Amino acid sequence: MYGWEMLSFNIHDGFLEAIVRGNRSGLLTAADYNNLCQCENLDDVKMHLTATEYGPYLQNEPSPLHTTTIVEKCTLKLVDEYKHMICQATEPLSTFLQYITYGHMIDNVVLIVTGTLHERDVNELLEKCHPLGMFDSIASLAVAQNMRELYRLDLDDMNIEIMRNTLYKAYLEDFYKFCQKLGGATAEIMCDLLSFEADRRAVNITINSIGTELTRDDRRKLYSNFGLLYPYGHEELAICEDVDQVRGVMEKYPPYQSIFAKISYGESQMLDKAFYEEEVRRLCLSFEQQFHYAVFFAYIRLREQEIRNLMWISECVAQNQKNRVHDSVVFIF
Amino acid sequence: MAGRPSIPTNSSALIAIIADEDTVTGFLLAGVGNVDIRKKTNYLIVDNKTTVKQIEDAFKEFTAREDIAIVLISQYVANMIRFLVDSYNKPVPAILEIPSKDHPYDPAHDSVLSRVKYLFSSESVASDRR
Amino acid sequence: MSGQTQRLNVVPTVTMLGVMKARLIGATRGHALLKKKSDALTVQFRAILKKIVEAKTSMGDAMRNSSFSLAEAKYVAGDGVRHVVLQSVRSASLRVRSHQENVAGVKLPKFTHFVDPAAGSAAGPSNASPSLTGLARGGQQVAACRAAHVKAIEVLVELASLQTSFLTLDEAIKTTNRRVNALENVVKPRLENTISYIKGELDELEREDFFRLKKIQGYKKREIERQMIAAKQFAEEQLAEEVALKRGISVGAATNMLVAVVETISCDAGAPESHLFIEWRRFCFRQ
Repeated sequence: MYGWEMLSFNIHDGFLEAIVRGNRSGLLTAADYNNLCQCENLDDVKMHLTATEYGPYLQNEPSPLHTTTIVEKCTLKLVDEYKHMICQATEPLSTFLQYITYGHMIDNVVLIVTGTLHERDVNELLEKCHPLGMFDSIASLAVAQNMRELYRLDLDDMNIEIMRNTLYKAYLEDFYKFCQKLGGATAEIMCDLLSFEADRRAVNITINSIGTELTRDDRRKLYSNFGLLYPYGHEELAICEDVDQVRGVMEKYPPYQSIFAKISYGESQMLDKAFYEEEVRRLCLSFEQQFHYAVFFAYIRLREQEIRNLMWISECVAQNQKNRVHDSVVFIF
Repeated sequence: MAGRPSIPTNSSALIAIIADEDTVTGFLLAGVGNVDIRKKTNYLIVDNKTTVKQIEDAFKEFTAREDIAIVLISQYVANMIRFLVDSYNKPVPAILEIPSKDHPYDPAHDSVLSRVKYLFSSESVASDRR
Repeated sequence: MSGQTQRLNVVPTVTMLGVMKARLIGATRGHALLKKKSDALTVQFRAILKKIVEAKTSMGDAMRNSSFSLAEAKYVAGDGVRHVVLQSVRSASLRVRSHQENVAGVKLPKFTHFVDPAAGSAAGPSNASPSLTGLARGGQQVAACRAAHVKAIEVLVELASLQTSFLTLDEAIKTTNRRVNALENVVKPRLENTISYIKGELDELEREDFFRLKKIQGYKKREIERQMIAAKQFAEEQLAEEVALKRGISVGAATNMLVAVVETISCDAGAPESHLFIEWRRFCFRQ
């Protein structure tokens, strides 16, 4: 059906697919989340987590726990798994895996640029970079003492944010092309997932730039040139002035109708959660098929969502706002 | 009044913060943060690596600076340097103990609130006696 | 302190008494005024105490909301958002202004927060920048988080004013009360003691004077009596001499005769006889 990848897929990538599927079953389940939501303090959270795959990463943590520690340690686990996989991977899977981390890489680069622009300590900045987005030459970015000279640009904070989003746009488009090149089931599923990602970014950029200095043209330039909304939806989004107009645009696209149906008029706070839920649903679906790379992408993204969930739960527990726990937790299975 | 330090009328003063990272981040987001030419910040992020000495120094610096009107300090941080906070008695900058999310607020530890409580009880006793 | 040291070391004179009385009146008036001030301050103080307790509780709520909104922002925009915020700090746009308020002569500091537009424009759009933070995701939560924190700052600034007022007032009330007590328990008793001392001293002097006058009066009286007796004797002697001259008898015999006459007169008649005697004495003195 998708060409003949099932014949040759397992030669190189069968082992890693098995690994990632094995890892997937280590994701926290609804039952785990229910247990976590019952916790009274962060030590309880830790105790519950030690019974899961996160155990080895958390068990040696001294008792006054902070949410940041929990998040850090859980991220560490993700990073370890990722490193394990990328060590085993052969081309083109290794390139694919690297593509997954480029998002973090962009964030790190932007962070370093911002920090250097404000003349902060480089080592301090490097500590704060996301471990998944580290690359060898990242420190050399900060060596340029004066960013203005380096880029011959008048970088202010707004430009930096535009730079970040332009980079991200380029990344998504590149990733999209790469997946198309891979072909087969990978292309089909990944292009779907990436289109969703691109559309989500377009909607978010639109909503978040309402009432800011960002012009319509600039806004239009930040949309990725693929996805369900491309190109006519983008034209419409670019001129939106409030959330309800965005909604009007989005309701023309059947896959997004269900998302906006969950949200009442004029409200946009819950939109992120709705998008996250939809994303998780789509990511989970990718596990239904075999012999493609999208499972790696899906797994990393699901882990990240899980870490977000854990952060949310531990924040709620730490701040004693347990009635809000269910507001933002997205159950994965 | 003799002995009482005069209160400087300042048209523009800063709010200093000594707290955990999240609290500081939030207030910086609100636009409180300030970094001057000599890279001196008006905030200190306290994590597990921060020593008591650093906190003490920051506290002393913030309370001595003339461009700071209010010093916000997380209560659990204030507890670490309680003797300094308690012995501080100038009206400006004002020291304000704020709760932090990980540490529920304990009014008993607040140096001012405990005085308030003390005064409340002593005043009621005094008014009974009167 | 003994009673002796509880008074001023002054010369007990009437002038000093006047001065002391004036001072006592001054002290009493000052005491009343300070007492009023202390009362006014205490009223203010109690109001502030109540407000502080209220503000502290509302601070708890505000802080909880704001830190929770940060959690929301972090959930949507990713954990990295805090680094972005921390790194892009330049110049404070949210500042406080302090001014003074006068309550019964005590200057109370008041803080008000304001957004400094200069800081924003001078250091690039540091005001506008966070509005684009999390452009692709979580921008709204970041904005909400900022709003929550600005609100928290409002409460905190309010609380800081209250707290500073509280400390200043506390100090002022203590000073005033100390003065009230000092006036009431030290200055006024001391002045009163001095006054009573001066009064006592003056009374003593007066009594001495009076005694002296009495003494002199008595002396004078005695002198007069003595002179009278002497005069009487002299008159009698003269009379006797006269009788003796007329009758040619000896002075001693004449005196005896005279006494005998007088006795007989005073024996047989009451009132007229004394009259007669006085007449007679006048006559004697005229001689």
